[in-house]
Amino acid sequence: MRTRNKILLFTTPWIVYLLVFWFYPICYSFYLSLTEYHLLTGASQFIGFDNYSKLFGDPVFITALKNTFIFVFGTIPVTTILALVLALFIAEKIPGHRIFQAAYFIPSITAMVVVALIFYNLYSRDGYIFTLCRMVGLSPPVNGFLQSESTALLSIMAMDIWVAIGYYVLIFLAGIKSIPVELYDAARVDGAGFIRRSLNVTIPLLKSTFAFVIVLNTIRSFQVFVEIFVMTSGRPFNSTLTAVYFIFDKGIARGDIGYASAAAYLLFMIILIFSLIQFRLTGVRRNS
Amino acid sequence: MSNSLSKWLLFAFLVVILFSTLFPMIYMIVLSFQNPGSFSVDLSNLSFTIKNYMTVFKSNNFGRYFFNSIFVAVVVTVGNMLLCAMVGYGLSRGPNKITWPIFLTAVAMLMIPLHVLILPIFQMMLKLGWFDTYMALIAPWLVSPLGVFLMKQYIDGLPVDLEDAARIDGAGEVSIFFKIVMPLCKPALAVLAVQIFLTTWNSFLFPKILTNSSEMYTLPVGLALMQDPRSSDWPVTMAGSTVAALPVIIFFLIFQKRITEGITAGAVKQ
Repeated sequence: MRTRNKILLFTTPWIVYLLVFWFYPICYSFYLSLTEYHLLTGASQFIGFDNYSKLFGDPVFITALKNTFIFVFGTIPVTTILALVLALFIAEKIPGHRIFQAAYFIPSITAMVVVALIFYNLYSRDGYIFTLCRMVGLSPPVNGFLQSESTALLSIMAMDIWVAIGYYVLIFLAGIKSIPVELYDAARVDGAGFIRRSLNVTIPLLKSTFAFVIVLNTIRSFQVFVEIFVMTSGRPFNSTLTAVYFIFDKGIARGDIGYASAAAYLLFMIILIFSLIQFRLTGVRRNS
Repeated sequence: MSNSLSKWLLFAFLVVILFSTLFPMIYMIVLSFQNPGSFSVDLSNLSFTIKNYMTVFKSNNFGRYFFNSIFVAVVVTVGNMLLCAMVGYGLSRGPNKITWPIFLTAVAMLMIPLHVLILPIFQMMLKLGWFDTYMALIAPWLVSPLGVFLMKQYIDGLPVDLEDAARIDGAGEVSIFFKIVMPLCKPALAVLAVQIFLTTWNSFLFPKILTNSSEMYTLPVGLALMQDPRSSDWPVTMAGSTVAALPVIIFFLIFQKRITEGITAGAVKQ
């Protein structure tokens, strides 16, 4: 017993980290959200929930929130379905499946800054995607996809789906691998083809993988930032302004720390609620 | 018959996706070798010059960004390997009643969106005087919830007998950890190292907000700020991007198995 208690000392680094870099910031951030605090003047004043009520009346914040929701609910279903389909295909042991799996994953290990720069070029006027659209008879916005209010956010969403798919393919494949082979053999004996096998055996058994993929992707997508910073800075006309970019712009760039903290906390609550709802819906219980 | 036809269709479909996945990466590399000042790759007039790579390293303090990225990623990775292994060992072998709630805090932190930490950590670094120093880039990330989670799970699966035998021989707890536990953890440490290195190398948000001088930028921050849509020299930007991305891709192709394990470690543990 004494050794066990001695071994407990090994957990000190985490306890310190938890308190200093997680617990304290999370609490401090809540406190900041209740103050009027500017970085430049340094003056701080407790104002209760005023920042929160101000946020709900701030059309720019509402726009940022709306864009974030469009981003989250626009990308997640597409990413999830495409990743699932690709994973099911790859799991069929098509010749070269290892190469496909590896290649699909490359975008998600590449720095988002790099991806955003490449797509910035491709989406520009006379860039490759722009020209391709012309060639097939579409009329892309004259100044490029990222310069038009109607296409900027959609273009960034499309890029994000492209980036994310490989990562989720990998997670679905891991889920598929954990399904006992006997179940497939039984289905094969019954003469079930690829589609019936997928619908009746694989997909129902991937329930917890689905939950994981959707919750993870929700948490990530709500925090979309780098793409916006590199490609548009929220322009044109705030059409690509997202919640985290709003927090960055208000808090870091303009120094309105109190107000930005309230926005950060509100977004935190929204993400938390969505994750909990998703866990409920997918029926996953926490396991020991 | 129809079966093999559908297999071919499937194969063709996967190839199309493969092409669209790799195209932007290839485009980046090819554009980085085009004449300075080009906007995109002109297939009828391809050129091959390494001038852009020289430009990128000469201007913009790029060598410094590169060094910063490597230095920060290596220190953070080594820190995580050592500290997360320690914590994992403590959580796995300590008294269960106390370690279980501590372990749950790590799991909970895995789910916390990082953006809530932006402003308080920014503030904290200003107050500590660590803003725009290596401390800001390194200190907050030396222990990660993911690492704690991975190492605890792995050490749970290791036999206790060796440690007990060493204890009977009179070995101290610290030397048991370094001489017996750490060497057995090699596979998990490799997974963790690869994962942490990649995340740190590619990270943008925190290095961006915690630095403001060109001496302290990491590659992604330097790259993002180098880009000015109106006046940028695309082949130079792409040369910089290639320098940031290619090592990671090669690294991935070599350590593919470990990276895959790291990514899926959290996913299949249900």
